[in-house]
Amino acid sequence: MSVMDASPSIDRRHRTIAFLGNPNVGKTTLFNRIAGIRAKTANFPGTTQEARVAHIVREDVESTLIDLPGIYSLNLDLSESRVCAACLDGTAAPKGEEAHKPDALLVVLDATNLMRNLTIVAESLDRRLPTVVAVNMIDSARRRGIGIDADRLSEMLGCEVVVCSARTGEGIDEVLEALRHARVPDRTAPTDQSGIERWSQDVYLNACAPLDTLDDDHVTDRLDRAFTHPILGVCSFALVMTGLFYVIFKLAAIPMDLIDVWFGSLGGWVGGMLPDGAIKALLVDGVIAGVGGTVIFLPQICLLFFLLALLEGTGYLARAAFVIDRLLRPFGMSGHAFVPLLSSHACAIPGIMATRAIPDRRDRLAAILIAPFMSCTARIPVYVLLIGILFPDQPGTQAIAFTGCYVLGATGGLLTSLIARRTILNGKSRPMALELPSYRIPDLKSALLLTLDRGTVFLKKAGTLIVAISIVLWWLDAYPQNTMPITIQEEPSLKQTFFFPDGADGEYIERVQQENVKASEQYEKDLAAYEAQHYIPPSYLQRIGSTIQPVFAPLGYNDELTVGVLASFAAREVFVSTMAVQVAGNDDIEDESVLEMIKLARRDDGSPIFNAPTAWSLLVFYVFASLCLPTTVVTAKESGGWRWAFLQLGWMSAVAYAGALIAYTIVGSVGG
Amino acid sequence: MIATNQNHDATIEPKPVSIPLSQLSRGQRATVNTAELDEQDTKMLRAMGLRPDASIQMCRLGEPCIVSLSGACGGGCRIGLAKDIASRVLVTPHA
Repeated sequence: MSVMDASPSIDRRHRTIAFLGNPNVGKTTLFNRIAGIRAKTANFPGTTQEARVAHIVREDVESTLIDLPGIYSLNLDLSESRVCAACLDGTAAPKGEEAHKPDALLVVLDATNLMRNLTIVAESLDRRLPTVVAVNMIDSARRRGIGIDADRLSEMLGCEVVVCSARTGEGIDEVLEALRHARVPDRTAPTDQSGIERWSQDVYLNACAPLDTLDDDHVTDRLDRAFTHPILGVCSFALVMTGLFYVIFKLAAIPMDLIDVWFGSLGGWVGGMLPDGAIKALLVDGVIAGVGGTVIFLPQICLLFFLLALLEGTGYLARAAFVIDRLLRPFGMSGHAFVPLLSSHACAIPGIMATRAIPDRRDRLAAILIAPFMSCTARIPVYVLLIGILFPDQPGTQAIAFTGCYVLGATGGLLTSLIARRTILNGKSRPMALELPSYRIPDLKSALLLTLDRGTVFLKKAGTLIVAISIVLWWLDAYPQNTMPITIQEEPSLKQTFFFPDGADGEYIERVQQENVKASEQYEKDLAAYEAQHYIPPSYLQRIGSTIQPVFAPLGYNDELTVGVLASFAAREVFVSTMAVQVAGNDDIEDESVLEMIKLARRDDGSPIFNAPTAWSLLVFYVFASLCLPTTVVTAKESGGWRWAFLQLGWMSAVAYAGALIAYTIVGSVGG
Repeated sequence: MIATNQNHDATIEPKPVSIPLSQLSRGQRATVNTAELDEQDTKMLRAMGLRPDASIQMCRLGEPCIVSLSGACGGGCRIGLAKDIASRVLVTPHA
């Protein structure tokens, strides 16, 4: 045991404060109110669990605040419970923080649901850490007529109790003040489950105005019944999701145009500043075109996360989980997979990692297998590009097509699950139990902070991986170059051929003929020298493209598209930047924006690269294909074997190819 | 399947008896007795507030079944349960 265990020092200049509590108690809202925008999200190493971490300075004391995942109990056999327990024991800390016992523990409770929340208080008291209990949402409790005697509660728990409301800001200063003087509770609670249950009932009855007859909440009741209704529920879910994507498309268009134009003029400006040569080409055609083609999707990614966070804040998503449960069950999935699959719409990697919360092993493997079928944010750039090409200037149709892509991906996943649950993962999925949080007006600040966080992560990726891939691709596209010095500027023309007049004698004819032969030999030589100097060898990229292209020819892809698809195997979002780099290298249209350039790009025979059948085939290909190296690695890690990862990769590639072929054939025959 | 073995005569017996949660009628109040589920699921339900002696009210029947933890539990906490789970949580209906 360390010294800290015996006498936790509360006067240290640097303190670590952990926030603990049930899900849906407003813990993160409270955290954000205290920490502001200085917080960042960090993983617990080796786990899927995230915590928000902030460093604040208040009255000369520097504090590290850690917002732990919301849990019902520290003793459950769940990843989030284990992480919280390890953090309180000082054996784990979020990435970038030193692991040690927190100097203070803030247990956040929901005033409207106090008895249930007392379970985690009992477990916290057992940790013997300086503890403060914050009874949050006191405003809601008062509205419902629930009275809480903080002094009595404090007396029974043996630590300071503060009532507060993170939403209105009431009591926040008192919480901070209490944390400064936090002490180890001078009371203990039972440690066995039945004991804790009796204890919490006892504490509750003593410190709360007991409410035997709570008025029925008709509004919540009606909304719940509507949102979980077999037909109405599905309709409202479809409506909400379509609305979500419509807003994303509509609102994102403005900043996207701005970014597009901005990168276009940045390229022009940098191009004008630098002398012609490799560096200019690298910067303008490689870096700026590549990054521009990716950063342009920042507005959409931010909007998606922002709106999803708002939606989650309303409490609707928990109801949607049950709607989804009903939809998923016939396919051998449970609503437990809803959160992992929904997260997979952001990125399959956190989605796959979130499957750890699925209790049943077979349920979990099935969810891992199908997670990458969900359309992640990395697909958005490709969808936007292709849908923009297919339906120019029709935001309504674009929104439907966009939703269609998501539905198509999810359908592919469900059918995969259906097949898997009848073959390799034979069995039924496990039933679900989920808390349905009260309907609330979502917290704008929390949503904004989450958006800021996700946007930063995306930009960092664009700033590193995508720049690197863009540079490599630019090099492959621009080299090998002809290194011969150019001495012959003009293309030689055949020297005048000498003719002979009628009636010339044989000797004269022979001489003229000799002159002619000499002239034409000289011409051949000059031409060969000229061509050698001006020869543009096929780039490495073209060579790779034309070697592999026959594989993708049935799908309508030319060399450039083949390269785009191949580059996507590392990460699919590089498709757009790859196309931008290739097109920027081949075209002289300087004033066009990056996207316009890609849209207008032509094949060798002059026809557009993105004709309708090809665009459809690409769209279907990108919906299904597992084009993400990290996902394959994470699948192998989480499923406990490479065979699942290879199965996933092989299966998704096969589905993508077949789907794209069907799309190409159908659209080709309809269009022709 | 266990769900098909439910005792349909249970509700008409005169004494307070345990019936599956899924057999409550809408708006009916009851006290939780036990859950015939595996240890992890039982622990999870108990941590969520569906513990022995907890007072509940049935808000929505079917799939999902929604119960409200009310009465002595004080508050509008609602829990959605798959029918399979609801049929294995035994409760005593209030008179």
